[in-house]
Amino acid sequence: MPTVTIDNQEFEFEGNPILLQFCLDHDIELPHFCYHPAMSAPANCRQCLVEIGTPEIDRGTGEPRLDEDGNPVIRFFPKMMTGCSEDISDGMVVKTHRSSELVREAQKDNLEFLLINHPLDCPICDQAGNCPLQIQAYKYGPEGSRFEFRKVSKPKHIELGPRVVLDAERCINCTRCTRFTTEISESHQLTIIERSVWNYPMTPPGVDFDEPYSMNVIDICPVGALTSKDFRFKARVWEMSSTPSITIGNAKGSNCFYWVKDNLVQKVTPRTNMEVNEYWLPDEDRLDYDVFNENRPEGPTIAGQSASWDDAKTAAADLLKNVDANGIVFLGSAFACVEDNYLLGELASALGAAAPSYIQHIEPGAGDGWLITDDKTPNASGCERLGIRPLDATLLRSRIQGGDVKLLYVLQDDPVAAGICEAADLAGVSVILHHTNTTNETLVAANVALPAATVVETVGTFVNQDGHAQRVWPSKAIRGVNRTLSMEIGKSRADKHGTPFDRWFDEDHLVDCQPGWVVIPEIADLLDIELRFKGPRDIMLKVSSENEAFGGATYDAMAEPGVRLVDVGAEV
Amino acid sequence: MEEKNGATSKAGDWRSYERVLLPPVRDLHRLEVYEQNGGYEALREVLTSDKWDPTSVTNEVRNSGLRGRGGAGFLTGLKWTFMPPVDPNIPRFLCGNGDESEPGTFKDRQLMEFNPHLIFEGMLIASYAMSITTSYLYVRGEFADWISLMEVELAKAYEKGYVGKNVLGTDFSTDLVIHKGAGAYICGEESSLMISLEGERPYPRAKPPFPAQRGLWNYPTTINNVETLACVPLIINRGGEWFADLGSHRHPGPVLYGISGHVNRPGVYEYPTGMLITDLIYDVAKGMRGSKKLKAVVPGGSSTPILRADQIDGVTMDAETLRDAGSMMGTAGMLIMDEDTDIVSWLRRVTRFYHHESCGQCTPCREGTGWIENIVTRIDEGAGNLRDLDLLIDLCFQMEGRTVCALADAAAWPVRFTIERFRDEFEARCRPSLVPSGGVLTPALGP
Ligand SMILES: Cc1cc2nc3c(=O)[nH]c(=O)nc-3n(C[C@H](O)[C@H](O)[C@H](O)COP(=O)(O)O)c2cc1C
Ligand code: SF4
Ligand code: SF4
Ligand code: FES
Repeated sequence: MPTVTIDNQEFEFEGNPILLQFCLDHDIELPHFCYHPAMSAPANCRQCLVEIGTPEIDRGTGEPRLDEDGNPVIRFFPKMMTGCSEDISDGMVVKTHRSSELVREAQKDNLEFLLINHPLDCPICDQAGNCPLQIQAYKYGPEGSRFEFRKVSKPKHIELGPRVVLDAERCINCTRCTRFTTEISESHQLTIIERSVWNYPMTPPGVDFDEPYSMNVIDICPVGALTSKDFRFKARVWEMSSTPSITIGNAKGSNCFYWVKDNLVQKVTPRTNMEVNEYWLPDEDRLDYDVFNENRPEGPTIAGQSASWDDAKTAAADLLKNVDANGIVFLGSAFACVEDNYLLGELASALGAAAPSYIQHIEPGAGDGWLITDDKTPNASGCERLGIRPLDATLLRSRIQGGDVKLLYVLQDDPVAAGICEAADLAGVSVILHHTNTTNETLVAANVALPAATVVETVGTFVNQDGHAQRVWPSKAIRGVNRTLSMEIGKSRADKHGTPFDRWFDEDHLVDCQPGWVVIPEIADLLDIELRFKGPRDIMLKVSSENEAFGGATYDAMAEPGVRLVDVGAEV
Repeated sequence: MEEKNGATSKAGDWRSYERVLLPPVRDLHRLEVYEQNGGYEALREVLTSDKWDPTSVTNEVRNSGLRGRGGAGFLTGLKWTFMPPVDPNIPRFLCGNGDESEPGTFKDRQLMEFNPHLIFEGMLIASYAMSITTSYLYVRGEFADWISLMEVELAKAYEKGYVGKNVLGTDFSTDLVIHKGAGAYICGEESSLMISLEGERPYPRAKPPFPAQRGLWNYPTTINNVETLACVPLIINRGGEWFADLGSHRHPGPVLYGISGHVNRPGVYEYPTGMLITDLIYDVAKGMRGSKKLKAVVPGGSSTPILRADQIDGVTMDAETLRDAGSMMGTAGMLIMDEDTDIVSWLRRVTRFYHHESCGQCTPCREGTGWIENIVTRIDEGAGNLRDLDLLIDLCFQMEGRTVCALADAAAWPVRFTIERFRDEFEARCRPSLVPSGGVLTPALGP
């Protein structure tokens, strides 16, 4: 296999790797700004300079020339080269800052240049603490500066579009943002204007930077030049925890981090998963986090009155006990996780009721063939794989109106808002509702309301429309104690900036809700139905071993990247 | 001729030299006049005579020893051979570089004004040699008048069948398009020129890949300066040998010297390469204005290293000699400065230019050119410190060879060499300072 020598260490390689990427993949930290693995490499930041040599080839024989010791003679390029624009070749010898004084000096010189016109307003910059420029200046930059002039001043607050704000002074002109709009989203809404040191990115005249993926440029900007209008100045990075999870606004299941401070979700950023969303996240997936923070229920209710969890569960069990199984309709949920839906199905079958169905939430034409789908739920595929079928709304409506339905058990959905019936139609129906928000229009008709944990508060599995099963971790705590959640939230703090002073365990803003996999087995218990699991992990062990459509989807296997399930041919 | 001795001209009997690039013919820019003076004969011969095929044309150019007149002096025939083998499904392009914007350079303009058909003819022959079906003549936007003039003349050439479908009735077809640049020095850099032609923001591209591998719209492309291309019909008409014998034998041919500054008769002069700088100043340009003493010469456009008067004795205008003398041939745009010249002020103006013209893509060039201008301005205004001079040299080394294109080098060389060669004048302008550079600022706290 061909080899490359980097700082006196030999590596084997396959194919045509880019030197910079190869270094990063092998834990050699090569400072860089403009390079992004998904985009072309303009080699403009000049931070990744390294010394490169290749074996000298004897023109006569076509073989590498050898020195007295039999080693190939290496001819170094007269100039340093940028690692991001060089492909590795067999026998190549590379010297990075780890072995070359020249490279160290060049990195320092380049950072000195980068900082002379940089405003250095880190104390008020959203990027501070998580800023490639800050980090690399600290690790590889010079001490102090020799620049004794007024910095170039540029516009500090440009609303490029409805969601993205530019501070042109902070910009280091890496062109990642403009390349994103030309190469990835292809909206062509950004370009660099002016020249020389007066350069900065801008929209063409009369154009708003309003494409549905605009906020990705905020993530890839290596400084704090591009900020989110929504998030600006809300929290410092070290005040938040970030938890790997997925977004739930549609059926793509894009991987994300939820950033939490004071038990409130502050922002949502993409998490790389090459099998799902690569590096990106649509704007709509980032801005719908209010559902986690606002209009959350304050504990369970019975007939609209606050009640204890025990009383509410008992009330629910009593309702189920006193109705003929034929009069019970269970609605599963494409918003809820596989575990909850599975338990609901088991409960229905133990009671002899019909299997649950789920309400579809499809907006034809909303999808874009990329990360936005027509389906606005995260787990329709999970439901289907459990055998939970889409609800026949017309049939249910006429059954309700005909007085056929005695009890409606709803898992995380809203039949009234979905237009299946009016709240008034439910006057004669007992309704048990797991709801996540008080805006749920079915709530007024609920006899028993059991606040449900959302994706940021639970542990569970979701299957996206491509059959990718992914598990989530709790990003924030709920009121009350749950051993599983406490353990998992501990694990979720794969957070790079954590300090003991993080706020995620504060009492403020804790929501009094519970995951389905806590509530449903307890109701079953009261009905003498055996539905006990040690926790969601065990549920998935069972589901994945019993149900071929979930084969391999154990928590250990899913981990962070998720598991691609077998194609069942019936994806929504 | 007298090449053994560097102290003498390599241009031979230059006083009786007969101009070929810009011959003294009235209205030569008009097609009719150009034809009467043997115009398009080279093209006709190349297309119709059995002696010529694309390879033999390229070889003739190679044998002539023609080197690019755009600044780098690269061997033109060799560059043409970098084009990949012809594949009928893959378009190939030629760009004539008429973006001429380097300060002190104004010779391409003369060609475009007075002998545009020679450029066209050169481009057509080059297109034949490299099997190119479309060539672009990229002209500096400010040359609006000559662009209109050339467009009129090009239309006539189309009408006469010198360009277009079935050139001169042969089965060779090729188009020539005149493109008006949008006004930036950087568009003269070859990769930037192509990107500008494509309609994008003209940020130069890292090389490799070179234009012959990935050029215009990613197709194989060759880029030559317009003066380079204008030499091609001459080589066909008179033979590569004639060309190779003219002037310095390692850098041969006729060349347009653009002489500006404190001489009695500034202008563009055509002579063979290898002219003594002193002949050009004292004979060709009729000596120093007001009989002042010569102070310095910048031989090839503002980016080439400045030479002090005592450094030009016996130096001739060709790449090798100028390199040995510590400078470069560049574009042969010569700036002549007399003893009254304020060299600090001159450098200030030069640094302003490169600061303004940096495309701003690469960090060292974008930041370095501005920083340098700031410092030189401060020195010029009498507020500089001695340590600024060392800082300037440092900054030059921080830029040179570390950027995407050569503009950063072009910006750094004049600074580095002017300070090196006129250090006393800079020092005299500076305040003495014992504070080391950077020492005035509090260093950041260490780990
Ligand atoms: C910043 C910069 C500006 C340039 N400007 C010009 C120009 O205006 N005209 C030109 O012919 N070459 C210019 N060049 C050189 C071209 O890149 C290229 O080398 C040349 O056109 C090749 O032609 P030649 O081989 O015939 O010399 C420039 C180079 C740089 C780095
Ligand atoms: S705004 Fe950010 S991403 Fe865009 S060019 Fe500037 S530094 Fe790069
Ligand atoms: S060296 Fe200067 S002009 Fe050339 S690409 Fe870089 S920034 Fe632009
Ligand atoms: S990462 Fe290589 S030059 Fe920017």
